[in-house]
Amino acid sequence: MTVVAVGVLAAGCNSGSDGGGDSAAEPTGTTAPTRGGTLVAALDSDPGQLNPAITTNGGVHTASEIMFNGLVGLSPEQTPVPELADSWEVLEDGALYRFDLRDGVTWHDGEPFTSADVKFTFEEMLLPFHARTKASVGAALESIETPDDDTVEFRFSEPYAPLLLQLDVTEAPILPRHVYEGTDVQENPANSAPVGTGPFVFASYTPDSEIRFTANRSYFRDDLPHLDELVMRIIPEGGNRVAALEAGEVDWLFGAPGAELARLQESGGYGFLETSINPGGSNCIMTVSFNLDRPMFQDVQLRRALGQALDGEQFVERVLFGQGRVAEAPISSGIGFAHAADLDGMPQFDRAEAERLLDEAGWVRSDGGTRTAQGVQGVPDDTPLAFGFTHFPTFGQYGQLLRAQLAEVGAEVELVPLEPAAFGDTVFTSRDFDTNIISYCNGVDPEIGVKRMYTTDNIGPVPFSNSSAYRSPDVDRLFDQARTTVDDGERAQIYRELQEQLVEDLPYLWIVETVGTRVYDSACEGFGPAGHFAEGAHCSA
Amino acid sequence: MTRRYVLRRLLQVLPTATVILLVGFLLIHLAPGDPVLALAGQSGDAEYYAFMREKFGLDEPLTTQLAIYAGNALRGDLGTSYVQGRPVFDIIAERLPATMLLTGTALVLSTAVGIVVGIVAATSAGRWPDVTVSTTALALYAAPVFLLGQLAILLLALRAGWFPVQGMRDARDPGTGASQLLDVGHHLVLPVLVLASQEVAAVARLCRVGLVDELARDHVRTARAKGVPERVVVTKHALRRALLPVVTVLGGRVGHLVSGAVIVEVVFGWPGIGRLLVTAMQTRDAPIVLGIFLLVAVTVVLANLVTDLLYAWLDPRVRYS
Amino acid sequence: MLVRLLASPGGGLGAALTLVLLVVGLAAPLLAPYDPFAVDGPALSRPTGAHPLGTDALGRDLLSGIIWGARTSLLVAGCVAVLVSIVGATVGLLSGYAGGWADDVLMRLTEAFQVLPRFFLALVVIAFFGPGLDRLILVLGLTSWPLLARVVRAEVLALRTREFVEAARVHGASRTRILLREILPNAVPPAIALLGLVVAQVILIEAGLGFLGLGDPNVVSWGALSSEAQQFLRVAWWLSLFPGVAILLAVLGLNLLGDALTDVVTGRR
Repeated sequence: MTVVAVGVLAAGCNSGSDGGGDSAAEPTGTTAPTRGGTLVAALDSDPGQLNPAITTNGGVHTASEIMFNGLVGLSPEQTPVPELADSWEVLEDGALYRFDLRDGVTWHDGEPFTSADVKFTFEEMLLPFHARTKASVGAALESIETPDDDTVEFRFSEPYAPLLLQLDVTEAPILPRHVYEGTDVQENPANSAPVGTGPFVFASYTPDSEIRFTANRSYFRDDLPHLDELVMRIIPEGGNRVAALEAGEVDWLFGAPGAELARLQESGGYGFLETSINPGGSNCIMTVSFNLDRPMFQDVQLRRALGQALDGEQFVERVLFGQGRVAEAPISSGIGFAHAADLDGMPQFDRAEAERLLDEAGWVRSDGGTRTAQGVQGVPDDTPLAFGFTHFPTFGQYGQLLRAQLAEVGAEVELVPLEPAAFGDTVFTSRDFDTNIISYCNGVDPEIGVKRMYTTDNIGPVPFSNSSAYRSPDVDRLFDQARTTVDDGERAQIYRELQEQLVEDLPYLWIVETVGTRVYDSACEGFGPAGHFAEGAHCSA
Repeated sequence: MTRRYVLRRLLQVLPTATVILLVGFLLIHLAPGDPVLALAGQSGDAEYYAFMREKFGLDEPLTTQLAIYAGNALRGDLGTSYVQGRPVFDIIAERLPATMLLTGTALVLSTAVGIVVGIVAATSAGRWPDVTVSTTALALYAAPVFLLGQLAILLLALRAGWFPVQGMRDARDPGTGASQLLDVGHHLVLPVLVLASQEVAAVARLCRVGLVDELARDHVRTARAKGVPERVVVTKHALRRALLPVVTVLGGRVGHLVSGAVIVEVVFGWPGIGRLLVTAMQTRDAPIVLGIFLLVAVTVVLANLVTDLLYAWLDPRVRYS
Repeated sequence: MLVRLLASPGGGLGAALTLVLLVVGLAAPLLAPYDPFAVDGPALSRPTGAHPLGTDALGRDLLSGIIWGARTSLLVAGCVAVLVSIVGATVGLLSGYAGGWADDVLMRLTEAFQVLPRFFLALVVIAFFGPGLDRLILVLGLTSWPLLARVVRAEVLALRTREFVEAARVHGASRTRILLREILPNAVPPAIALLGLVVAQVILIEAGLGFLGLGDPNVVSWGALSSEAQQFLRVAWWLSLFPGVAILLAVLGLNLLGDALTDVVTGRR
């Protein structure tokens, strides 16, 4: 029985874009791709190190995935396609997966790629350190066997449905055993000078300046890459990245500030690739959490009222500049089979209704100012409806807009920006916050990035787990069921039931689904959306 | 210049440096937020964090940490970066040349131009050239550095296309030898211009004040009466003493330049320690933040020291017993 | 003295600009056409009749933002000036009056604080303790006092000798009281001149921090406006230009005034 996950790449691509995906890129158009040349891409931060198997950090993945491969890639439609494994069988109803590895694959240093590399990477790097793989695969995996150099077997204690969607270069990149065996994988100097199997070979890394790669002429996809050289330039300022693109110093941006996009489109000469797949995480929803341990937020009516006071369209228009859509369900529309369309309980923007709910909930307005509690359970009378809103500094615009919108219904919001390094500790360990906003990336299957937001065993201290501290035995049970159900139709049913329960309990407010737009010089084409963006790219002149 | 004076002055550096170290260290380690989380990306687990915490000695009491740190610092060991897993000293040393190139060039340029501007202003004191030049310089000094930087990029790099927008080298073809020097120089122009323009006013003003004073003095009037050409009067008789105030503030100017360099490096993507500091702050890489803070403070202290010694050497009247 | 101050071109302009800053800041609620946080306007609109300085990405009026930003700058500058005056005057008085080893110790301390790179220190504090006007005021207030302390100390030293001479003649009048009555009033003019320059520096530092994204997001400040304007440099030049010019004018005015005051004060001696 084969497992097929069906997903839909978010939103149509703008004109002039090419979806290369992770499968071998077919040259589009009638001209044969130009061979050679150097492509310059812009990064927004220095990754620090280049080993994507020991971290889920977006910066590291963006910079390093181009040097590696996973066992099973994902097509633009998010279906499994061969990469390091060229075929596979799913046996025992999904409790045993057997992969047949591609022949003739070599590492950048010439050594042959074997099943031992897969086993080593999983056991010594992914399962101890790659948080998403560890939390999902790691919890269910029994053992990894390598009957011979070309075969790998994953044995699970119970049927495990989503495995084939978690073996790409983002969730499970494969690293060389002969380089890391017997060393401390986190200190190994290869983390700054990697050896991989991917389309580009590491050449040099100048911290805070640039990373250089040359083409892998022994890449297992015969005619790829077309380019000779790839350079990633580190430019922290968004405006400067765009300026560099316009000045011709850079050819590819992973993202551009929304306001600049319209201008770039008008000026012509640029291609655009809109996608919700990112090296750091895909299908992300900007989600507001309530600290359910605090009495103020324990009334679902208050939460619903605040939800109805928020105008998602205004966020899409003014914060995202159209790069995204209003979230219509707790699970992203990017995961087509699980996304519940037309959910009744999802809060709709209605200011009048919000005000009515607040009045009913006991939050009384005193002549147009901030509301105060009158007879609200657990909250002393005359307490103002004022609370903090914790966020990454880069999400400042969300905070500013949310504060303005909630002020209209008599709620006073204080913005608390926190750098990522402090955010995790404050929000997830000490739980010292009232509300916050997080970009929760669902991944390509709900098991990857959705479950961790809602299950009781996932409440702190690990960052980006269950931020609201939502506790529901029903929901826990449903997630367990979904994980071990292999039939997609049945899984979809379970996720529908789940989402109905979630919008009724409203532990979070799901505001907008974000979409990234890659921008590139139109002299180049053949790009993919994520880590292997330049695998099939070529530039003329 | 007495040896005692030099020695005393040198010794004064130590307590200052200690205060600096103490202030920096306490601040960083008393702040909320756990530095360990900078390492693990979006989702790690408790075991991993505990492992990291122990590895970087974060479990030790503060006083022990400080003692260890101070001892190491004196030996040149500034600790290991949490994020990069390399010695802080190495990381800073790598980036220092870029900042030194930027601030050094800006210092020299602003001093030279500032003196010229000061002379022009002083010799035409109160009249048109003085007013326009002085006001422009002052306006540049009052403008926020980032505004100047963004304007420079907008007008000179994007519109005119004369200079690159960011970075220190061309990404596509860095070149070697002479062409590499030219490339770096080409990239250096805008950041230095922006940084130096801020300082020109400070130098010009001091020079002008000193020169105006000097030009009013008796010995200058005598020289003029004797028929000495004006240019010689200015340069030979008045300038040397007028430049003393310029020397005095050298220490403060170094501090100001380095602070300005942080913003200039961010705006122009110049890979120096200013940008390193900003990145390190975002990732809560405390050893690097402390290391840079220490470095900058000590540099300013040393600049002040050099200034004082230079001033004492130049002006024989200044001799502390 | 006031006449002489205003007569010089720099002093006149400086006083005018500073006055404008004071008035705008104090009367902000009356002057601003809109609530600076209201998101009702069209997003990223050029300067028009309805919004003379344009609007930002969220549709907020920039003119109102700049007016309220002046108020914040005044608040920060004022608080820092007070803090600096208190600490600086105390240290200066103690140091000058006590003399001997206490003077030495205090002077070493003053020196140490004088070389502390203020911008860097503010960066570190804000980055680790989080943004907030209170932290900024504390950091800048506690590190900008050295020059003032020196000025006050110089006054004390200068007047001490005179005081001893006079005390020989005047019996009974407490030395301390004479010190306070004679010295402080004399120290005020150079102190004010210095404070003008300190305040100008404070505004620039706040702007720089704001540019790096370290400003307080719960108040309107020129630094925060500049930071938000960054990403819109090409599509909405007015967002960068007007706050930048506002900063420039405020700092220019304060510098000119401070300089003119210094000239007048030193001219008197």
